[in-house]
Amino acid sequence: MTAPDHRVVSASDFIRFLEAVLAEQPVIGPRERPDQPGFYRFGRLARAEDFAPDYGTTTVPPKKAFAALREKLFTFTLDSPPELDLHFNSSPFVLLGVHPCDLSGIDALDHAYSQPPAEIRWTANRRRATIIGLDCRPDSYCFCTQVGTESNRNPCDLFLTPLEDGYLVEVHSEDGAQLLEKADTREAGEDDEQVAEQWRKQKSEEIVQEFDAPVERIADILEAGGLTPVWKETADRCYSCGSCNTTCPTCFCFDMVDDIDIDMRGGTRYRTWDSCQLLDFAVVASGHNFRGERWQRVRHRWQRKFLYLYRQFDRPYCTGCGRCSRACTADINIVDVTNRLIAAAQKEA
Amino acid sequence: MAEPSKNQAGDHTRIFYVPERAKVMTTRREPSAILVELGFEDGRPLNHHPGQFVQISVFGYGEAPISVCSSPTRPESFDLCVQPMGNVSRAIADLSPGDWVGIRGPYGRGHFPIDQMKNKDVLLIAGGIGIAPLRGLIQFICDNRDDFGRFRVIYGAKTPSDILFREETQQWTENPDLEFYLTVDEPDDEWDGCTGVVTEPLKEIDIDPENTIAAACGPPVMFRFIAMELLKKKLPEERIYFSLERRFKCGIGKCGHCQLNDLYVCQDGPVFRYADLLKRTEAGEVWVPEKDQDTA
Repeated sequence: MTAPDHRVVSASDFIRFLEAVLAEQPVIGPRERPDQPGFYRFGRLARAEDFAPDYGTTTVPPKKAFAALREKLFTFTLDSPPELDLHFNSSPFVLLGVHPCDLSGIDALDHAYSQPPAEIRWTANRRRATIIGLDCRPDSYCFCTQVGTESNRNPCDLFLTPLEDGYLVEVHSEDGAQLLEKADTREAGEDDEQVAEQWRKQKSEEIVQEFDAPVERIADILEAGGLTPVWKETADRCYSCGSCNTTCPTCFCFDMVDDIDIDMRGGTRYRTWDSCQLLDFAVVASGHNFRGERWQRVRHRWQRKFLYLYRQFDRPYCTGCGRCSRACTADINIVDVTNRLIAAAQKEA
Repeated sequence: MAEPSKNQAGDHTRIFYVPERAKVMTTRREPSAILVELGFEDGRPLNHHPGQFVQISVFGYGEAPISVCSSPTRPESFDLCVQPMGNVSRAIADLSPGDWVGIRGPYGRGHFPIDQMKNKDVLLIAGGIGIAPLRGLIQFICDNRDDFGRFRVIYGAKTPSDILFREETQQWTENPDLEFYLTVDEPDDEWDGCTGVVTEPLKEIDIDPENTIAAACGPPVMFRFIAMELLKKKLPEERIYFSLERRFKCGIGKCGHCQLNDLYVCQDGPVFRYADLLKRTEAGEVWVPEKDQDTA
């Protein structure tokens, strides 16, 4: 498609639209956690009203819709020979309310998983989903403008920007257009466009976290090295809990484990998220740990996000969502540490 | 996309992490290890390159990456040599003929550089269990002996009773096709062979640095000393190869466990040119000689 078609849907028509979608397929979207009011999670909406459109952010990013924290890969029997049964659900669903930064996280993982040899499990799960993006208001941890994701629309089928009553809907794909046929919409006018533009402008102005150098420079700084003092200072505060990894929309490291059924006749192999910050992540059979020092693991996280994957895919593996900083048990802020690296490099130069 | 059909696991090995069934044909006790000979149900060959590895599943215990230690020139089956160190490898050590396992792979784009080795002198150096991945290459070269120049193998074990593939090492000693140097760190009363670590026989060897390719496999600390000796002999860094060990979970450069700076050992290796490793700080921190470790 060329320039996206712009439509407007009123708030009440949007609820009716959601009800119509829910009648046909599951919708995963942001909803308030019943156990923790004020906190949100991506979960299956039981009804249209469950959708919490003004959620700030979620603790865990929506990547879990495509690669679950604990994902069933296949079942096996302990017969001779064993029977293996691939587990894969191919039914379609809608992923609703994804912020521009989190769309960028999905895009990052699309690149990583499709790198040959491609992992089709991710790709096949992605094909199941119609994605509806949603514009947002930043909080004090957000820094999307620093990594250029604040107006990202890739990948999405529809994108919503809040208006006074309802949303401006950008149509980004044929699938999106088809889904939107379930809604009562009108053509967007100049006024609607201005309100949406104002929303984006205000959003960018509200970002308070800033890198002291352009993100392209960070790769060079990391590559040049000489940053050990910053790594060690940061590591002194870090607990190696892995919260930064598990909340990161671009992290994709994993482990695989077997579970035996209680009747001992078979079991299941699962894939689970893993964290490079955990002590035993790089341990090998002989017992050697290739990143046994905490500062090596801290450094690895930055190098992966801003150097290795940046060079490989020509984009930072950071979306500016701020989740790692929010989740950090030691209050380590990704922008602060990056700025200390930049400062250390400038001192060196 | 259409839903993948069930019970055709082999069709989806790479993409959905479902292994293919393979049967244990024979097992052989080795000192502190077990040699397992495996075959696919349909008898098809593994089609691997020496130096590649497979992911072997013992269902209920999990999956572990193990180097293939036989040569593709002997295609009716393939061998894995496993030391029982963890959950999965202990389960492998308990396997008997007729048992079933799962296999994914072979994996690893970086394998031993057989094409470059052709018509060149080949020097292989193994420490401990490192003889296992090299055994496939030794078999390959012996099976295609005319394609290669002078062929030497150095194998160091901790004690005489730790020597793996005892019968084969005896054959290698007697085989005129290769010059085999066997050494042990800690000799016993009956040992009358060479003693000391692998660099001891290596020091004594003259090589033609213009026409030699060396490959080594063993514990990480060994590489540093092998590299020093080979560089002293003027062998260029581009013609020294090391086979590295990491705990691969996926085998296709996704799970992140084997990352070495910008490289995935599973995908870019596990066999690397020394010249390529020199540029990587995470390799240097372990074993590059006289490298400033604080330059990160």
